[in-house]
Amino acid sequence: MTDLTPLLSTRNLTVKYPYGDVQNVVIDELNLDLYPGQIVGLLGESGSGKSSLALALMGLARHPGVVSGEVNFRGQDLLKMDDEELRQIRGNSIGLITQKPRQALDPLVNVGTQISRVYRAHSQASKAEAQIRAVELLRSVGINDAERRVSAYPHELSGGMAQRALISMALSVEPDLLIADEPTSGLDVTIQAQFLDRMWERARDANIAVLIVTQDVGIVANYCDRIVIMEDGKIIEDRTTVEFFANPHTDYGKKLILSSGTGDKTSNADVAIITSPEILRVTDLRKTFEVDGGKRLQAVSNASFQIHKGRSLGLVGESGSGKTTVGRLILRLADPDSGEVWFKGERIDSISPKEFRKYRSKIQAVFQDPFDSLNPRWPIERVIREPLDLHTQLSKEEKSARVKELVSLVGLTDDILPLRPGSLSAGQQQRVSLARALATEPEFLILDEPTSALPPAARADMIRLLKSLQERLDLCFIFISHDLSTVRELCHDIAVMYLSEIVEMGTSEQVFSAPSHPYTRALLDSVLFHDPNNRRVDRKVKTELEGEIPSPVDLPDGCYLAARCPIAEQRCRDDHQELIQIAPSRSVRCWKSVEASQ
Amino acid sequence: MRRYVLRRLAVGVLQALGITIAVFFVIRALPADPVSRIVGMNPTPESIKQARHALGIDMSLFQQLLTFLGFHGDGVFTGSLGKSWVSGATVLSEIAITLPTTIQLIVTSFIVALAIAIPIGMATARRPGGKLDKGVFGYGLFAGAQPEFWWGLIFIFVFYFKMGIAPAPLGMLDPELTAPDAVTNFVLIDSLIAGDFTAFKSALGHLVLPVLTLSFLLVGPLLKMTQQSMSRVLSSEFILYQQASGLEKKSIGRSTLRSALAPIITLTGILFGFMLSGAVLVESVFSLNGLGQYSVAAVLNLDFPAVQGVILVISVISLFVYLGLDLLLAKIDPRILVK
Amino acid sequence: MQKRKIDPLLLIGLIIIAGSLFLAVFGNSLAPFDPQEPVGDFSMPPSADHWFGTDGSGLDVFSRVLAAPRVDVAIAVTAAIVSAVLGTGIGLYAGYFTGRFSEIVMRISDILQSFPVFILAMVLVTLTGRNVVNLIFVLAFLYTPIFVRLTRSEVLTQRTRTYVEAARATGNSEFQIATRHVLRNSLAPSLVQLSVTVGFGILLTAGLSFVGAGVRPPTPEWGIMIASGAPNIILNEWWTSIFPGIAISVTVFGYAAAGNAIERWARK
Repeated sequence: MTDLTPLLSTRNLTVKYPYGDVQNVVIDELNLDLYPGQIVGLLGESGSGKSSLALALMGLARHPGVVSGEVNFRGQDLLKMDDEELRQIRGNSIGLITQKPRQALDPLVNVGTQISRVYRAHSQASKAEAQIRAVELLRSVGINDAERRVSAYPHELSGGMAQRALISMALSVEPDLLIADEPTSGLDVTIQAQFLDRMWERARDANIAVLIVTQDVGIVANYCDRIVIMEDGKIIEDRTTVEFFANPHTDYGKKLILSSGTGDKTSNADVAIITSPEILRVTDLRKTFEVDGGKRLQAVSNASFQIHKGRSLGLVGESGSGKTTVGRLILRLADPDSGEVWFKGERIDSISPKEFRKYRSKIQAVFQDPFDSLNPRWPIERVIREPLDLHTQLSKEEKSARVKELVSLVGLTDDILPLRPGSLSAGQQQRVSLARALATEPEFLILDEPTSALPPAARADMIRLLKSLQERLDLCFIFISHDLSTVRELCHDIAVMYLSEIVEMGTSEQVFSAPSHPYTRALLDSVLFHDPNNRRVDRKVKTELEGEIPSPVDLPDGCYLAARCPIAEQRCRDDHQELIQIAPSRSVRCWKSVEASQ
Repeated sequence: MRRYVLRRLAVGVLQALGITIAVFFVIRALPADPVSRIVGMNPTPESIKQARHALGIDMSLFQQLLTFLGFHGDGVFTGSLGKSWVSGATVLSEIAITLPTTIQLIVTSFIVALAIAIPIGMATARRPGGKLDKGVFGYGLFAGAQPEFWWGLIFIFVFYFKMGIAPAPLGMLDPELTAPDAVTNFVLIDSLIAGDFTAFKSALGHLVLPVLTLSFLLVGPLLKMTQQSMSRVLSSEFILYQQASGLEKKSIGRSTLRSALAPIITLTGILFGFMLSGAVLVESVFSLNGLGQYSVAAVLNLDFPAVQGVILVISVISLFVYLGLDLLLAKIDPRILVK
Repeated sequence: MQKRKIDPLLLIGLIIIAGSLFLAVFGNSLAPFDPQEPVGDFSMPPSADHWFGTDGSGLDVFSRVLAAPRVDVAIAVTAAIVSAVLGTGIGLYAGYFTGRFSEIVMRISDILQSFPVFILAMVLVTLTGRNVVNLIFVLAFLYTPIFVRLTRSEVLTQRTRTYVEAARATGNSEFQIATRHVLRNSLAPSLVQLSVTVGFGILLTAGLSFVGAGVRPPTPEWGIMIASGAPNIILNEWWTSIFPGIAISVTVFGYAAAGNAIERWARK
């Protein structure tokens, strides 16, 4: 931050949404200065106005919003400019990256035409020249056969490709200011790291100021020089990142810092020898799906593990890893193609649905989407009572008492019982799902990304709740997640999955402190810690994977990671890798890692 | 694209045929007896038998079907729809005279309705919650609840009887005028071909009230759909992105329009199909002698060949209209072809 | 607690609906004159004795307007309820348990959808006999596919939602899921459509009767009344056609308004 004159500065910026006679004020007389080359993180809960602010900095608002006040860009007020002047600045000196890339493209026009239109809006290029630039751009983001893809329609591109194309377009004109509105939401962890790295490098190289709108504290800690927090249309904190993390001023700021969790490892996480009885055993589980075009999608192949009473297993992976499918197979929400699932010594993978229903009171689940998991028309009381109705013969009073017990167990109060799910926050909804899952005192739980869809503060609360319940009730569960740090806090053991296979297994401490498989290493390196003194961008050595995560269709003969792995050799591409045990309860699917461990 | 068209055509033809055959059986299965009209009171068994033979219903159902389709002489597959049991003329010729009138009415009504609905719908979308917005909403609700034949009568009463500015509701032309030579059977076109501007103006004048009545009704749902569709597109992410990328207003406007059109086109198709049979009522009020009136008479007279013919023709027309609109849609929105 | 503002449209709609149902039951008895017997001079304009005048056969228009709901509204409401119940049931089954039955149902529904409705109605009514009961059957037959479509569509969406999977994981049988969870959440479109369908039913009944393919005269029915007054409207005898038309217009609007209000409430 060498330059002290602001690049963009707002005075009394206000954004209102009119509806008939009513005005909904979304941004309230806001003053903000952005400096050249500075990377700023804009945080806030949904409804805080951060997305509207991002747009307002360009003088834009979603229809039918109205922007008023002053937005001074390089000394000139954008809100007083005529259309032509504004048009020249937008997409040129100020760039925008939106949250959902495919929705940012006109679905009725092909991609090439759209890209060339933007070029021609800001240059004197002819149609033919712009078309060539479009092809070049697509090629530069790793899209093969770009000449053909250029006439594709947005729905024919994958989300990742579309996002890369849009970013490239935004960065290629070298704007003075880049506004990125939750640019990585929905992206896988390793892809997110790649993307943010690239953006950060370009910004540093070309001295581009960046405003990143996000809810993720980790992104701010690792990539931003300055943090601005919004609440109800106003800025409540505006500090340098290091200062903020050392000493947050506002309550909300403090909550955010705490939400990084304790980072404590689970107790007994490095105990490798287990003495309690086996609850669940999975052997060589396999599942494939047929997809359009007659191809086979390999969801799960040769998954094997055991879980003992009182211990928990974290199943970690990104898109296409198969982790969710494993959970569904165990729950018989899908049927395995082959393999065995044993519950306390009884086989449950191939019995009839009716037979399996008897096990339902013993094996329960919590799913990812807090609201969608609950019947929107049922009051909470009924939701939690349902398993008792189905599996027990308790009297009405007994059930009612048990429901109240469960409600307090998950940290909620009785007054939510008559409410409908719609009236609860996401965090509360998820607790209700948990209460429902615990109703019949199950012996085994499957938690499928229960915290992924929660805002940071609620996520931290949920993790703390799970930890305490784990100890109190001696819970035994599988925790499915893409987030290694969460898994470390809650699980004794970890299995890392990539494209349908388990690539590494061990206790969470073993895996966390000494990751062996290249994929695990890359995954660990992609974790964005909430510590501005331990930033990813400052690390010299990182394990980085190339390219996108492929779909588990048409998997190669050799190692599935070979195409992206930084240490891949010919042998990796030729031989399919097997899961080899390198220590008690520690195994890796990579011959190089196996050699390195000896 | 071509495969899509061919497939739709093939399916559609089968459907039209299927519908007609279904109706063929249904009307013969129901209790009403067409013979009773012909034989009068106290018929002798002889006369009944004769009448049944004349109408061809003494054969087995299956034989009747084959005859209808054309396996025993003229039939559907040879381009004939049989002869009317009432007039004796070929059903095809009678439909050929009455159908154009109905089409003129419907097409003109749609053109007028769209010309009103689309601009207003777009204007209201820009200002949500405003007075125009509420007005549109109210109108949409109101228009959808109206009996159109009654409004036809009201318009006749007000504009013809009380104000004298509309012609009498007696068909397509003033009674004293002779119709132009029937070339296409579309009075408007024929009169132009013959250079007969008096007839042309007269026909146009006679269309005003019926078109007003139908458009009055059609504008309701079309307006509502335009407003909704436009609103949706204006708030969309990609329009916002185009603004953020600094594209010209004109270009963004074109994108907006193109995206907003698709649901409007779909709705037009649905309404058109509905109108083909629904126009009956307006035709009756204004004595336009179109297909609708023809079909009413056919049904009331238990004229089976005429009824079958009308249904087949309407189904085929609907088919082509839907296909045409779907093609238009596919041109605008390439996502349709993916399914 | 915020005070909930009552939707004025809903209020108007409900009042009109209540009125129409009331008249359907009591209209005949409340009529000042016998609706089917000539009671005065022909074609008399509205007067103190005959508020809506008399028609060409000497029947009191006001009495007939009051008595007509017994036919118009009763037919429409009965047919709408029958088709809603039937259609929702079939739609739920076809939507939840996909398979051959579901496919067949959809094909039939599609075919029925592409029939020219009015003509088909005419054909069916004329050929089964023009009386009230047959009209109800025909209308119910024509409107059931709408409910099948709506319900099936909603069920298909609901089926993919997580709470359905969660219900399975909790231990419900498929039948329990379909009835206890999915059905309840798939009813909204049908509920809205129910009110609107009654309106359609009234318009169709009146329309059919207008062209002579509905109920038989001298049954008091709004469509027939308009038809009887139509030829004379250009002779300034406006009351015979206008008043029944106003009755239809207001009544159908009431059902439409209520339906619209329900839709907006359900969407929240």
